[in-house]
Amino acid sequence: MLELPPVNVQLLAQAIKAFLAEELRASGLAGYLVGLSGGVDSAVSAALAATAVGPDRVSALALPGPTSSPESLRDATMVADAFGLQLQVLDLTRPGDMLAETLDARADRVRFGNLMARMRMVALFDRARPVPALVLGTSNKSEILLGYSTLFGDAAASVQPLGDVWKTHVFALARALGVPESVITKAPTADLWPGQTDAGELGFEYATVDPVLYWHHEGGMGRDELVASGFPPPLVDGALEAYRRNRFKWRPTVVARVSASCINVDRILPRNPER
Amino acid sequence: MVVFPELSLSGYLLAHGVLEHALRLDDSRLEPLLKASRETVLLVGMPLREQHGGISNAAVLLEGGEIRGVHRKLYLPTYGMFDEGRYFIPGPCLEPLTCSLGRFGVLICEDAWHLSSSVILSRANLDGFMVISGGPTELDLGGEPAGGRRWHWILGAIAITTVTPVFFTNRCGWEEGILFGGASWAVDPRGSTLAGPAPALEEALLVARSSRAAAARARTLTPIPYAERLELWPAPRERGDA
Repeated sequence: MLELPPVNVQLLAQAIKAFLAEELRASGLAGYLVGLSGGVDSAVSAALAATAVGPDRVSALALPGPTSSPESLRDATMVADAFGLQLQVLDLTRPGDMLAETLDARADRVRFGNLMARMRMVALFDRARPVPALVLGTSNKSEILLGYSTLFGDAAASVQPLGDVWKTHVFALARALGVPESVITKAPTADLWPGQTDAGELGFEYATVDPVLYWHHEGGMGRDELVASGFPPPLVDGALEAYRRNRFKWRPTVVARVSASCINVDRILPRNPER
Repeated sequence: MVVFPELSLSGYLLAHGVLEHALRLDDSRLEPLLKASRETVLLVGMPLREQHGGISNAAVLLEGGEIRGVHRKLYLPTYGMFDEGRYFIPGPCLEPLTCSLGRFGVLICEDAWHLSSSVILSRANLDGFMVISGGPTELDLGGEPAGGRRWHWILGAIAITTVTPVFFTNRCGWEEGILFGGASWAVDPRGSTLAGPAPALEEALLVARSSRAAAARARTLTPIPYAERLELWPAPRERGDA
């Protein structure tokens, strides 16, 4: 069976830390703000930022909502303690319920989950402003490729240090960085409703799907080649369907080009002119 | 000679920013470099605004307050993460650049990945190759970024097969979310390290000493470039189209 090629975790961590230091320098802002969910992605992002620019320049928010499990807040606190971060808890239960009621979205768990993800985005960008801080993204490559994220919710961030890192390697980074063991071993969850897990929704574990995604996305293998190389057809079909269906999330919007100077089409410019 | 990486005056990922930042050779902003070149030969990289239109990805050799030569990048990578063919025009010719220190083959990044470039230049009795680069890298299981490893093979092959020292400078660190692999290196005509490799992620100044007499001795003992038979290279590549 084809595998996901391993990566040198120490060098990966060193490189991403340099990235975070450079982005902060280029932005001219004071630090990073990260939402700690209690999960492994935000733990790794926070740990990398804390060691890259110093824990005093990284602030953390825990943003529990009506469906969050108590373990999530416990684990977020553990992560903040492990990396010396100030953690502020903002309970979004009441505003979440209120907005859901106003929008009549409470009965649909996907709508409600998206609503909470976007509410966390609002809280993070709002609290980032007075610092001023960059919002530290926590999306990994596997979930981006599968589209397992909320557009303009958890997918929205100033920088995405893990956006090109496979989930399998996020776990490896977590171990190397000293993320608390319970955060690493628990089942990944978006925490959008009680008992939700990524694997339950996607239909496969990241360790199982990462090699399929790698050999398709980077290796250029098509469906039949993947199956012929030994991956189970339901796994390949499920992965490729999510990969195809959610691709719109890779580019969150599309501009109607009606001139010869369409931004990001005809004119592509550096993000930071004074870098 | 002080050698800087590709597009050292502007940064690599300018994209359409080259429209704003490209310089003419008579641009007054080059004055400080021209002044410095009275003391030290300089080789810098910059987006060059051409007289008759177009922008080249150029290496400019400065000495004695004057511009001694320009190499325009021949091979503009336009695949994968690269889009240089969109912003630059390709150089028209491949000729060595000359200054008081000798005659040098200047290659800009992708130029060196076409081994013919170094083979052709090596007929001109070079004192060295200057390979200036903005080489991005990815990370794999290796203890160094993958890009540095590939450069090591390519530059070593150029040095050994042309029996000419190679001086390589590469951009390092992060720009616009792209990691550049650093690992600048100087290698002698037999493949031994003269200086470096520099670190992958940190800026560094490498100092390499090279002996023209030693290189000549090496070419006397291993006269590989003098046996080059370019006439064996006439046919266009067969594409094997379906």
